[in-house]
Amino acid sequence: MLNYTFDWSVLWRPPYGKWFLDGILTTIQLSLLAWMIALFLGVTIGTMRVLPWRPVRLLGTTYVEVIRNIPILVQLFFWYFALPALLPRHIELWLYKNVSKFPFWIAALALGIYTASRVAEHIRSGLYSISKEHYQAAYSTGLSTFQVYRYVIIPYAMRIIMPPLTTEFVTIFKNSALAMTITVLEATGAAYLIDSYTFHGLETTTGACLVYISISICIAVFMGWVEKKISIPGLIVRKG
Amino acid sequence: MIQIKNVSLWYGKYRVLYNISEEIKKNTTVVICGPSGSGKSSLLRCINGLERFQEGQIFVDGKSVQDPSTHISELRADIGMVFQRFELYPHMSAIENITLAPMKVRGKSRKDTEAMAMSLLERVGIPEQARKYPGEMSGGQQQRVAIGRALAMEPKVMLFDEPTSALDPEMIREVLDVMINLSRSGMTMIVVTHEMGFAREVADEIIFIDEGKIIERSTDKQSFFENPQSERTKEFLSKILL
Amino acid sequence: MDWGVIPRNINFLLGGLVLTFELAFFAISGGLLFGIIMGLCRLSSRKWIYAPATFYVNFFRSLPLILVIFWFYFITPIIIGRPLGDFLSAIIAFIAFEAAIFAEIVRAGIQSIPKGQVMAGYSTGLSYVKTMRYIVIPQALRNMVPALVTNTVIIFQDTSLAYVIGVKEFLRRTHLVDSREIRSIELYAFAAVVYLILCFLGSTLGRRLEKKERR
Repeated sequence: MLNYTFDWSVLWRPPYGKWFLDGILTTIQLSLLAWMIALFLGVTIGTMRVLPWRPVRLLGTTYVEVIRNIPILVQLFFWYFALPALLPRHIELWLYKNVSKFPFWIAALALGIYTASRVAEHIRSGLYSISKEHYQAAYSTGLSTFQVYRYVIIPYAMRIIMPPLTTEFVTIFKNSALAMTITVLEATGAAYLIDSYTFHGLETTTGACLVYISISICIAVFMGWVEKKISIPGLIVRKG
Repeated sequence: MIQIKNVSLWYGKYRVLYNISEEIKKNTTVVICGPSGSGKSSLLRCINGLERFQEGQIFVDGKSVQDPSTHISELRADIGMVFQRFELYPHMSAIENITLAPMKVRGKSRKDTEAMAMSLLERVGIPEQARKYPGEMSGGQQQRVAIGRALAMEPKVMLFDEPTSALDPEMIREVLDVMINLSRSGMTMIVVTHEMGFAREVADEIIFIDEGKIIERSTDKQSFFENPQSERTKEFLSKILL
Repeated sequence: MDWGVIPRNINFLLGGLVLTFELAFFAISGGLLFGIIMGLCRLSSRKWIYAPATFYVNFFRSLPLILVIFWFYFITPIIIGRPLGDFLSAIIAFIAFEAAIFAEIVRAGIQSIPKGQVMAGYSTGLSYVKTMRYIVIPQALRNMVPALVTNTVIIFQDTSLAYVIGVKEFLRRTHLVDSREIRSIELYAFAAVVYLILCFLGSTLGRRLEKKERR
């Protein structure tokens, strides 16, 4: 074993402790913001893929196939490095000057767009799995289209879609770590930064590991409670 | 042939079988009937050790089922079982389904086993299905292949767990015919079923189970159907007989 | 826009692609091997086998891969006693991480086989091992193919993460060329297209395989 003295205080002593804490907060903010973008976009695109008009479906499918097959890191770099260069010069300058924490917003955007493609897939397969007969039964009782979706389809679809969406939610927290490559100081970035000052990378990354594990556990517990509250007796959706 | 002594079975806190005792003689056909959840399928699975019962003893041809030193695979090779949902292996053809166990357990050669399997397929009436896959066969055909698969190990006793319950009505007859022939040829059979026509035809003994207990048993088919002793038997029969 | 930057640096960039493929190869084979073992352990009824395997799988599944790469980068020199190259360190990290992912795929695949199949096998006198070998695993493998292929494509994409500890795979080289020539749009568009084509091919191959298995 290489001679190595552990120094766990790098995780809490000033100024490193503050950096680490700020990193954790940034992780949470980044993930939540990206999640909201992903949900909004993803639901839209997922629904687009099941609508009866071919060009609309095609648009949705193209989005999903393109975004899904390019690594998220490449997409991140594209938005951060390449996109500003595409914009007219004065807008680019304005962005760099006026928008503080520019990398943060770019990261949220890129992460949101990427995750939206996965959310769209889950929405599509959830809506798909509801059989035509189900719709027919609802319509046959005289409900309007809007009522069918609001009272029959969406409540049912929600329970099917929730477990995979929970998984995506955890994944977004994990993917937020990639933002460190474009200088966003979230948890992993903070761990890396503190290491460059103290050379105790093992402690900092172990600390970061604990952060993500705690987040995972919290989400699992919370979503478990939510799923139980809204579960329909007799409908087993989550496989063991 | 089979002795069941004071067998009780629990799933966690839920008790499925209460002190069941029964003796089944060689070359007889025993029909077990009863409402859903009465424990009749569980009892069947206790006999070949697919369910581990907590109390009591079962002996099949002198060998103990519950004794941990018994080689349970060997015992199971002597007991054939036919399942409600057929459970044919979907990735193997009909003839492969039948030859798998004799080849891998008894080490027989492929040539001998295939010949034996073909004769079994003829016996159940579908030799032309030999190379077909379960996905290509009707339910009745699949179940007959399943019977052939169970017979391939030359068992001493055959257990049937609601063999026709998952079949479309027009296919029930072909499976029952195979079972009737089997019974008449002298096989010891225990059949859990709702098919009372079958019972009337070949049963040597009829047992009615409800809520994990044997309510009534009779070796006289006539009197069982016309004059059941207990109230619950009467109620059950009135529901399933037209 | 100067698209000429791509052909000028094509050798350098493609050299990175070779490394990408190498990284992916080791990650996939190592991950699959350990993943199968771990997945089977997760199905064991013996607590002392089941518990560590479950802990391992849940541990790695809640962490970002990039952090795992960093963590192994820091910890392997300490355990081995001397610094390890970035490529080797990345491979160890990938194998450890992907083993957890593959373990879950294997476990889910085997559990998806209905219990009735196992009972049918037992009822004809087959032992546990023979039932698994002839009845459960052949069917489970067929069910697992889509998930295995999807994950392989994901691993291929994830090799780009090794970039952060200095492995000069395809994406890092793209970045290096960019920092020298500042032709970001052309270069990253090129990288995106390369990945897009390769991954799309991979997914399509997977879908073909899936269709073939359905007789």
